[in-house]
Order: sequence, then C-alpha cells, then structure tokens
Amino acid sequence: MASTRALARLATRRTTVPAVWTRSFASVEPASPSRSTIPESKTSTVKEPATEKDAKIKTFHVYRWNPDEPTSKPRMQSYTLDLNKTGPMMLDALIRIKNETDPTLTFRRSCREGICGSCAMNIDGVNTLACLCRIPTDTTKESRIYPLPHTYVVKDLVPDLTNFYKQYRSIKPYLQRDTPPPDGRENRQSKADRKKLDGLYECILCACCSTSCPSYWWNQEEYLGPAVLLQSYRWIADSRDERTAERKDALNNSMSLYRCHTIMNCSRTCPKGLNPGLAIAEIKKSMAFT
Amino acid sequence: MSAPRALNLALRRIASPAGLTKFSPAGRLMQQRFAATTTISEKEAVNSILAKQRLNRPVSPHLTIYKPQMTWLMSGLTRITGLIVATSFYVYGLSYLAAPTLGWHLETPSLVAAVAAWPVVVKVTAKLAIAVPFFYHSFNGVRHLVWDFGKGMTNQAVVRGGWVVIALTAASSLWATFLA
Amino acid sequence: MASIARPALLRQVCNAAPTRRMASTFAGSSLKHPSPLTRRPMQSAFATPGASRVAAFHASGRRPILPPLPQVVDGDVNKPAPIPEPSASHGSYHWTFERLISAGLIPLTIAPFAAGSLNPLMDASLCALIIVHSHIGFQSNIIDYFPEKRIPLIRKGSFWLLRIGTVLLGISMYSFETNDVGITEAIKRIWHA
Repeated sequence: MASTRALARLATRRTTVPAVWTRSFASVEPASPSRSTIPESKTSTVKEPATEKDAKIKTFHVYRWNPDEPTSKPRMQSYTLDLNKTGPMMLDALIRIKNETDPTLTFRRSCREGICGSCAMNIDGVNTLACLCRIPTDTTKESRIYPLPHTYVVKDLVPDLTNFYKQYRSIKPYLQRDTPPPDGRENRQSKADRKKLDGLYECILCACCSTSCPSYWWNQEEYLGPAVLLQSYRWIADSRDERTAERKDALNNSMSLYRCHTIMNCSRTCPKGLNPGLAIAEIKKSMAFT
Repeated sequence: MSAPRALNLALRRIASPAGLTKFSPAGRLMQQRFAATTTISEKEAVNSILAKQRLNRPVSPHLTIYKPQMTWLMSGLTRITGLIVATSFYVYGLSYLAAPTLGWHLETPSLVAAVAAWPVVVKVTAKLAIAVPFFYHSFNGVRHLVWDFGKGMTNQAVVRGGWVVIALTAASSLWATFLA
Repeated sequence: MASIARPALLRQVCNAAPTRRMASTFAGSSLKHPSPLTRRPMQSAFATPGASRVAAFHASGRRPILPPLPQVVDGDVNKPAPIPEPSASHGSYHWTFERLISAGLIPLTIAPFAAGSLNPLMDASLCALIIVHSHIGFQSNIIDYFPEKRIPLIRKGSFWLLRIGTVLLGISMYSFETNDVGITEAIKRIWHA
C-alpha cells in the first residue's frame, strides 16, 4: 500500500514538475525571506473524501511552502477533516491529512507523546507540540497551523533549527569538572542540590519557547533565547559543575542574555510546563553584582 | 552495602586488571565514546547545494500570526508607552533649550497660560494621553522589577499581575484626569 | 462579494495602484486566457480566478521594516555559535545599574503625589534619574531594533544622536531646575491650569 502510494507520488511528480524545475534552486536568484503568505481565501480547499451524515467537519489551514519552487510565495492550504474519523490530537489530524488526502504535506514527528519535541509548531497562534495539542472540538472555529514563528522554513511545517542547535552547543551543555570525584566513583549531590535541577532537566529542546520570544525573533543571531538560557542555567545551577564562573562570563555581554526583557511568552507557551522566564531571571539575579 | 552486592563488586574488581591496583586513577572512570564525524571545509559548506537552498527559504510568519496574549502585548506596550513619555520629555527639554534662540516661550507660566486657554475636551484628551502611558509604564515597571527578583513568575501570577496593572492604570489615569 | 457591489470603483482602484503585489496577483486572473508562452508557477493553480479583484483592497503593498536576510549559516553547522567577549559594563553591571535607577524612581515618583511637589534637591534627583532611565531605555531600543550586523551606521548614528540629545537634555533640565519652578511643580501647575 505504502509503496504504491510512493510510486504514484513519483509518477505524478514526474509529469507535473519537470526535472529541470526541481533543480532550478541552484540558479535562481534568492527570493526575499519575508515573502508574504498567500492567505487561505486565495487557495483551494482539499476536502475530506467521503463525508457521512453526522460528520463533524473541521477546517484546518496549513502553511505550505515547497523548496522545489524556490521563488514561490508560501501559501495557506485548507483541509477539511471529519473529526469523528480523526484522533484527538493535532498531530493525528496532520498525519491523517498526509495519509489520506495530501501526501505532499511535510512535517516532523516522531514519538507522538511529547518527549521528542519534533512536532513543535505554531497551532492557533501558540507554539506547542502538535502531539500534545488537542483539536478544539468546536467545528465552527477553523484551526491554523504554521511552522515555528520567525524561523527559516525548510518545507511546509519544517523549520531550520541549525542556529538554535549551534547556540545550544555554545553553552557547553555537559558537566565540566577538573577535580575527580572525592570517592573516585561518582559526583555526588545533596538532595537539596538535586532539587534545584527540577524544572530544568526536563527540557526537550523543542524550541517552542525560543521561537515565541519577540526578542529572539529580532535578534536570534546573537541573543541565545529562552530554551538555550534555560539549559545554560541547568548547568550553572548544577552543584557538580566547576565552571560556573566561566559559564556566567560567556553570558556577560549585552546580547547573549540581556536581550531578555521578561516578556514571558516563553513560560506561557512551554508545552512541558517549564519556566524558562524564571530560569533567566535566576541567571540575571546571580550575575547582578559580578 | 548488602553482602551479595559487596561480594559482586569485589569479584568484579578482581576480574578487571584495573581492579588490582589499589587506587584506580579517576581518568579510568571516564567514559569514552567513539563517533564517526566528518568535517567539511568552509568553501564546501558555502558552495554546497544546501547552502544555496537556504538562501531561498522564507521566514515563517511571526508577529502577525502569534496569538495576542497578555504577556507579549503588555511587554510591547511598556516599551511603546515608555517611548511616548520619554520622547515627549526629550522633545520638551530640547525645545526648552532652544526656546531663547527661537523666541519661543516654554517657561512654566506661559505654558500654564496657554493650557488654561484650551477647551475642556482638549485638556481632558491631552491629560489622558499623558497619564495613561505614564501610569502604565510606571506600574508595569514595578511589575518587571518584582520579576527581576524572581517573584511572581508563574503563568497564573503573570496574568493576575497583568490585570492588576491594567486596573491600576485605568483607575489612576481617570483619577489624574478628572479628580486631581 | 464586494466586487459585485462596486465593480466600477474596484476597477479604478486596480488601475490606479499597479504595485508589484498587484502584478503578482494578476497572474491569477490570466487563468482565464491561458497562453502557452506564459509559464505560471504552481501557486497560481491554487489562486481563485477572482483573486485579483479582491486584491484591490490590499494594493498598498505591505513592506516589512528591516526584513530578515536570506539564511546563511556561518561555516560548519556543527560548530558552536561564537561566544562574545565578556564585558560586565555592557552586561551584568549595566543590568544592575538599570534596575537600581528604576527602583530609585519609585519613591521619587510617589513622593510628589503625596506631598504635592518636591523640594529642589529631590526634584533635581528625580529629573536626573528620569534622564538616565530614558537614556537607557532608548539605548535598549537601539540595540534591539538596529542590529549591528545589518545597519551598523544607522546604529552608530542613533547612539551618537541619543548621547548628544541626552547631554543637551541634561543642560536644558539644569537650567529648567535652576531658573524655572522645577519639574514636579511645573507639571502640577500645568495639570491644574
């Protein structure tokens, strides 16, 4: 079944898009990244194939952009789904669209239980994990799904997180020690010290918080963003780490940390219920007189 | 330590060659992981197909699609109101400095006389236009200072504090405009 | 549809505003007269034929301020992002100073509401703190919205403009405080005028 679908897709692709087109990205002048999105009012709707009488039809508008047509504008594609035949979560809806109506829809997903952070996207205006976000059962309201805000789009709902990961790497997210553990075996920690890491270690780096932060939108090259700062604090707060001063020094400039203006979108949007805003406030507090 | 576990550990220590030495160096306990990595040259990275593809990527929509939430709207308003108050302060201050050379009269008595001649509607509007940004910026500034101590940063507290600031702003602006 | 209600007006608007955006949306209307010579991108297949008529209302052509540049990754994707030189005067000290100024403003702002107006010394310190607070605020705006990599000259220029403005404001406020009635008393008098 799957293989036939793939074959069919290949076949249609050959006929509609010539091979020259698909390679045209190398020769085409770069288009402006801030191309406006074609609203759903100007695009067609892909309808649920067979609708039943008591169907609960809900409309989903999904952001689409295809790298094979490099200069084209992104557009909003509408899909209708019968909620009776769809699972409860937004990810179920997306998977169902991909399986049954439009196999070209592209998005990341893996664990479908909120631990991998792959399906982070902007759903109805709020960044969250599609697998943890219930579909609002109110069918009169239409849902809108965008990729994470102010990110470069690889395709459809897939954002490029290279910069995010590079920044994560820059805070050295691992234990740094020079002295061997006192008992020669493991670096022990008191219960109180361990408790400080609660609410920090659970972060799955889905980038929901960073891409919800207006400050990060405008200065993502230099400002580290809530997720990376939360991780930085996770190592600053760790009693076993011996490079606390060095870690703080790395943040002690006008951009890396202090572009945080306590907007608090990060804590509001975190799908894991963590509080990056508080973590950043704690870093600032601990650095206040150093 | 329970007896079987101690025995087990002792056996294991004897079995491993490192266990024979009494004090094993700390380095031995460190894990080493081997992973295959490939490096690409700068030139390769810049000229690759991927690098060219990146140039065409659009930026996903942000401000226009993000849900209007109290958090970022109030933060943005703090900045805007601050700019309004500070800019008017700068404009007044600089014109006061330039007034003697330009022949303007911006001293308090002449300003009082000028304002006194305004109709009530204009007066009320002008007062509101100054009072609302000033009080909003002040109250939300206090809220931000509280946050800087790491207090009241849960989602519920943030929303509650936001409504308190809005209520205080409305009340004090109305008081300053009509009662004071 | 609005176009049915006022077709003549719409046609006028369409003709009067031939922006780039309009040109792009007209591609949709050319669906009606398909020419083998014009190769349309895929998107136009999804655009409804009436799109150009609706677009008359959006003809102003929104242009974002300082749009983001095309994506370029510096060097190796596996290299960490560069860490800036530590500088407490731009980082932690600056932040602490900013908070101390803001916190100092609180009692000085409440006092005139309680007492009517301030004595000259407190009035002068309130004025000085407001100037510094405003300066830091403007500075923060410049750092946020005028990125060094994109518009270094505008950034530098606005920093200098701000510095000059603040110094002049300081001089101005000194003369206001010494020759005039003081900031709180002035506001009070004007407010009750």
